[in-house]
Amino acid sequence: MNPEPFLQIDRVIHEKGRLAIMSMLAASPELSFTELRDTLGMTDGNITTHIRTLQEAGYLSVTKSFQNNRPLTTCALTPAGKRAFTHYINLLERIIQQNRPK
Amino acid sequence: MQSNGMESNWAAEHLQVIRTLMERSALYRRALAPIMIFNGAVGLAAAALGWGLRIGSPRGFILFWTGVGVVAVAGSFLLVRRQAIKDAEPIWSPPTRRVTQAFMPPLAAGLMIGTVAWVKAGPAPGNFSDLSGVIWLPLIWVVLYGCAFHAAGFFMPRGMKVFGWGFIVGGCGLLAAGMPGWAAPLGYAHGIMGLFFGSLHLAYGVYLRSTERRGNEA
Repeated sequence: MNPEPFLQIDRVIHEKGRLAIMSMLAASPELSFTELRDTLGMTDGNITTHIRTLQEAGYLSVTKSFQNNRPLTTCALTPAGKRAFTHYINLLERIIQQNRPK
Repeated sequence: MQSNGMESNWAAEHLQVIRTLMERSALYRRALAPIMIFNGAVGLAAAALGWGLRIGSPRGFILFWTGVGVVAVAGSFLLVRRQAIKDAEPIWSPPTRRVTQAFMPPLAAGLMIGTVAWVKAGPAPGNFSDLSGVIWLPLIWVVLYGCAFHAAGFFMPRGMKVFGWGFIVGGCGLLAAGMPGWAAPLGYAHGIMGLFFGSLHLAYGVYLRSTERRGNEA
């Protein structure tokens, strides 16, 4: 078995909570902090930590604005985040392919 | 060998989780403002037409507004199709499927209640003024339509749920209040339809259009 795909797996994305955030943002142009938190059932602290990690990796951009006089934090994938996510999916597919019985 | 199988399963499970989350996240944002404006214009025009033509028999009223509903649904579908073609997206996408599924039960209930009312009303020959026997029907339609929007709102921008609540609260409130003594059944029934299916749609469509523009300008 070729271990190469495993070695290439991006550890930043691979963590369960961060993978969930990346997956949701991959299907939507942007999502608010609240939408992410409520859909994924995470705590404020947990999701903040994951968002910060993804932001530091350059995978996610965070925009702060106001809506109806209330602060609104929205997250979106950066081009680097989209590339990393696509690469991650491709690796998973390669793992499945190489273990498929011939 | 067993390890390979486990790793393959693990990767497949990850992909399945990713797919589920992506589907859950993909909100239906397609052509909402044009659809709302179109339906609002159709609702207002139909209310004016129904009142102007004095469509006041129960069966005439039900048939007329069912026809208006068909026109509104067909027009909305064409708007969705136009945008999907323009953006090179599939029409029957997962968000579209979920929104349609959410809409179906309350709309089907409205259609069934309308059919029962149509059957019970009878042909009523020569009676073109008395809608009082089915005066509750427009408000039931309004409430069910609100339920449909609220259900679909789980897969659409958040405002849709508020829009749905507007129909539910407004419809229930007017049901509780009953028809005012000064109102004639004909004007009241078409007025309710015009107010909710015309004005509310139009107002929300204009709001969506203006917020979309502001968002684009920002």
